[in-house]
Amino acid sequence: MSSIIDSGTPAGAPTGGPAHKRGVPRSAAIPLGLAKRFLTAREGSIIVVTVLLTVYFIATLSSSFTGTANIQALFPYFAPYAILAVGEVFLMINGEIDLSIGGVYLFAPYLYYELANGHVPLLLAVLITFVACTAIGLVNGLITMVVGISSFITTLGTLFTLEGFTLIISHAEQVTAPGSQLAVSATSNSLSSFASVFGAGTYSELIWAVVIVAIMHVVLTQTSWGSHTIAVGSNKLGAAEAGVRVRWVVIRNFMVCSTFAGIVGILEAIRTSSITPDPSGAGVLTLSAIACAVIGGTLLIGGAGTVIGALIGALFLGILQDGLAIKGVNADYLDFYLGLAILLAMAINTYVGRVRKGSGLG
Amino acid sequence: MADQAIPGEHIVAPASSEDDVLRVEHIAKSFGPVTALRDVSLHLKKGEVLGLLGDNGAGKSTLIKILCGFQKQGSGKMWLKGEPYEPKSVENARALGIDVVYQDLALIDDLSVYENMFLCREERRGGLPFLDKRRMKKETRKALDDIGINLPRLEVPVARLSGGQRQSIAVARGVYSQADILLLDEPLAAMGAKEGAMILDLIARLKAEGKLSIIMILHNYVHVLESCDRVNMITDGVIALDKPTADTSVEELTEIVVDEYRRARAAAQAEEAAMRGVSVAEPGV
Repeated sequence: MSSIIDSGTPAGAPTGGPAHKRGVPRSAAIPLGLAKRFLTAREGSIIVVTVLLTVYFIATLSSSFTGTANIQALFPYFAPYAILAVGEVFLMINGEIDLSIGGVYLFAPYLYYELANGHVPLLLAVLITFVACTAIGLVNGLITMVVGISSFITTLGTLFTLEGFTLIISHAEQVTAPGSQLAVSATSNSLSSFASVFGAGTYSELIWAVVIVAIMHVVLTQTSWGSHTIAVGSNKLGAAEAGVRVRWVVIRNFMVCSTFAGIVGILEAIRTSSITPDPSGAGVLTLSAIACAVIGGTLLIGGAGTVIGALIGALFLGILQDGLAIKGVNADYLDFYLGLAILLAMAINTYVGRVRKGSGLG
Repeated sequence: MADQAIPGEHIVAPASSEDDVLRVEHIAKSFGPVTALRDVSLHLKKGEVLGLLGDNGAGKSTLIKILCGFQKQGSGKMWLKGEPYEPKSVENARALGIDVVYQDLALIDDLSVYENMFLCREERRGGLPFLDKRRMKKETRKALDDIGINLPRLEVPVARLSGGQRQSIAVARGVYSQADILLLDEPLAAMGAKEGAMILDLIARLKAEGKLSIIMILHNYVHVLESCDRVNMITDGVIALDKPTADTSVEELTEIVVDEYRRARAAAQAEEAAMRGVSVAEPGV
């Protein structure tokens, strides 16, 4: 656990690490350092809350919650949110936001459907769809950084444009996702490798999420892409003066965020084997992804954030949804509890942030 | 009004000499209706420390930002080591050997000491995109030790450091950047006497080594006379004085500034009188 916390600490955040280097006896320094490190890490509070929630559900639901079937059923509850939240994290660290991911999520599977209907090979259709989503991110980035419109407005515009465009080309009709028929074929129990990779396999979405989280965590903490992202969000003018290519840093993060939304769109379409033009669902998805990033410890004002936190935030959301569903709690309660969870997690984060700054831990 | 009040005589830098590393001629820059630099020409010899003085708003920082590639001049030409110098970006200028310490320091509060030291010049592991944090920390430690700045932890965000510590990091970043021309915009502004003395010592050492040429904006005349070879004073967007520090004194520099204030006040009074004349005439209109 401690290694996750450590590596997940945003660049420059305090750690108790080097205490022993300064001659403090190891045996005393390390447990204290770890405890402090854990509790003051950005992700600390959401990890504690998630563990408590899990313990509560295990205690009250026992086998129905811990069973393999339920754990597998949990994946779609959190993997898509984790992928979307990771894209948002990078933009939120920049001090920007992408509201259009719901639109991209809606549009991507229809583009894929049209391409596949036009006899484009499935894999190629998926790749073209991803590239198109990247291009949407490029447009978001250019409008925000070159034209100079706030990203909230830019992406609100692209959100409605994409939703509307999707409704037009789909005639607001639900269709079957190409390539997924093989997945639900009654005559054969085995999935095509295409379908099992792109969402229909039991572990498909989980693997996509874990791989994306791992890669983006390394990008944020171990590369100049990450440190420049923090620099732009923390001090835009200073970053530009130091030579950071501010526009490109933000545009690149928009492109990544949109691409992830496209990936989730395709994965969900093939997993459920149907493509539904449902803008309200897409809107909820967008806000939930932003909520995952926020309760994971990423600041909306920019300058700091964590990819691991977004994953844990999504896990929290998934466990909450799943646990309440098994408990037979009315679905109406879900949003109620989620709202309280966001407020609680944010209050803890703010408090911990104050402790972190005031206690001289660094 | 400004056009009539050119203070002092307009001194153009002497023709290029062999040991000029940097020369700028007739640089002008306006921001909309505001003229920051009217016509500035100056030169910098190899190994020289040039002090730049001038009132607030005289255009010193604008000149520095043009020299370091952050802004583009409105007109005028620049030469670097005899070659035309047209920096496209800060990175481009840095690659050509010019680095800068900005007045606002350009530090990132949320990044650590060593990440700030290496911002935009990160050390990477082999040919991979991964940052070599250990090496960056080691080099940062070495650079700070060299100046005499004691920071126990290089992993802390610079937001938590004092003004003087922040400034010394910014100066260290400029000095240890492999540049051969360093531009310093008020490097002592946020510093106490002790830290300031450290930075001036460092500059004296760099001058003794003779590899680095420096243009430094300062406010304190004593510092200028102590640490610079030559002083240029900008008033009203032009260079009003260009003298070796050995040939000038705190009194002379003060006199120029006092003079400028007198002129400015006289101009303001004349303007006010003219305005009053207009407002008296108005009822008749």
